[in-house]
Amino acid sequence: MRRPESNYPALRTRPNPTTRGRRLCYGSMTRSPQVDDHLAALLRRVANRDADAFADFYDHTSARVYGLVTRVVRDRGYSEETTQEVYLQVWQNAANFNPAAGSAMAWLLTLAHRRAVDRVRAEQAATQRDSRYGSATAERAADVVAESAILRQERRQVAECLDSMTDTQRECIELAYYGGLTYAQVSERLSANLATIKSRMRDGLRSLRNCLGVT
Amino acid sequence: MTEPTDFELLELATPYALNAVTDDERAAIERRVAAAPGAVAEAFHSEVRAVRETLSVVAASTAVEAPARLRARVLTAVATPHRRFRWRTALLAAAAAVVIGLGAVGVGLALRPAPTPSTAEQVFAAPDVHTVSGQMPGGGSATVIFSREKNAGVLVMNDVPPPKSGTVYQMWLINDRGPASAGTMDARAVAPSTTAVLPDLRHSTALAFTVEPGSGSTKPTTPIIAQLPLI
Repeated sequence: MRRPESNYPALRTRPNPTTRGRRLCYGSMTRSPQVDDHLAALLRRVANRDADAFADFYDHTSARVYGLVTRVVRDRGYSEETTQEVYLQVWQNAANFNPAAGSAMAWLLTLAHRRAVDRVRAEQAATQRDSRYGSATAERAADVVAESAILRQERRQVAECLDSMTDTQRECIELAYYGGLTYAQVSERLSANLATIKSRMRDGLRSLRNCLGVT
Repeated sequence: MTEPTDFELLELATPYALNAVTDDERAAIERRVAAAPGAVAEAFHSEVRAVRETLSVVAASTAVEAPARLRARVLTAVATPHRRFRWRTALLAAAAAVVIGLGAVGVGLALRPAPTPSTAEQVFAAPDVHTVSGQMPGGGSATVIFSREKNAGVLVMNDVPPPKSGTVYQMWLINDRGPASAGTMDARAVAPSTTAVLPDLRHSTALAFTVEPGSGSTKPTTPIIAQLPLI
């Protein structure tokens, strides 16, 4: 008789300690520690030039990277180029990832955001165009995403937490983070002094962080 | 002792983490942090880290599936002659819910292909939604997001290796009268990210997995390899 279970000698059922039996309120982490551990492990392999691990890492992260880059850069062709540059940077610099300094996803998205902002600023410098910024003009591309259950769940939590900020806080953060403006430019645009802008950014992000339960 | 200038430096942590500074400002801030007292530098880094972790969660709200041609370009760019990539037919792990082919097993078949948007959305929107996750013994993880009020759940399996040839994974909803089959998954059904709806939880207290021969069994014939408590 076939005993296929003998391929699985260890019974390792481990309920996720952050979510097990707990109501899925905004105090629960939206991403499981296992996912972060998995991504960190993949990056270690990528640092050793493991192409399979790189493909896996790409598959787990590219929707977030491409979506963020698109939101900032707003041009499809440039967004693809920028995303490609981001992953080449990952391939070359995966060894620089330090798990003690933060999660793999945060490391990756910091890198992606920096590149996207650099791209937008370079374009602005080149064309001196009067760019349109902000959520009102930003494409709601997220609506068309085919999404996994997990992503959908995270998105719902994030959407509700974005509402935990005041409108002025959200405006500041969106102009900077999605619009690529410096805090000094945000201050100019909103005719508010620098200290006000800095505290709106800080307080808004703290509300968001508390709401999302990010530790 | 924290000087006023240190407060000013700490105030810049958020704009710095948002990349809302010029290149010159960034360089100046990094110089100042390097020269600052240890506690100030630590507070600065801690704030930057918190902002970045928060934004990485927020990225779920802007996620967009990247074009398939981009994947091909990215992977080709790093390809070396010695390695070949495992090209997957599924586009992305985070993409559309994967339809599972299921063999009908017994009367208790409860697992259906794909989360129909209505059921899954109802579960996610339910006020009593719960999540439970566990590692699968052969690798990968299983998560059930469920609502008693909606009497339904969504099973998500990530990176679970396919069952050995000639066997299937079988899911069982367990209540005080024993296990009832909740469907099977064969090797073709197990993708990097597999999603299925559990439409009828009733009084079940756990979702269990066994490896069954052939196309499945009416009762578990092998020990449970993993179990998620639905509480």
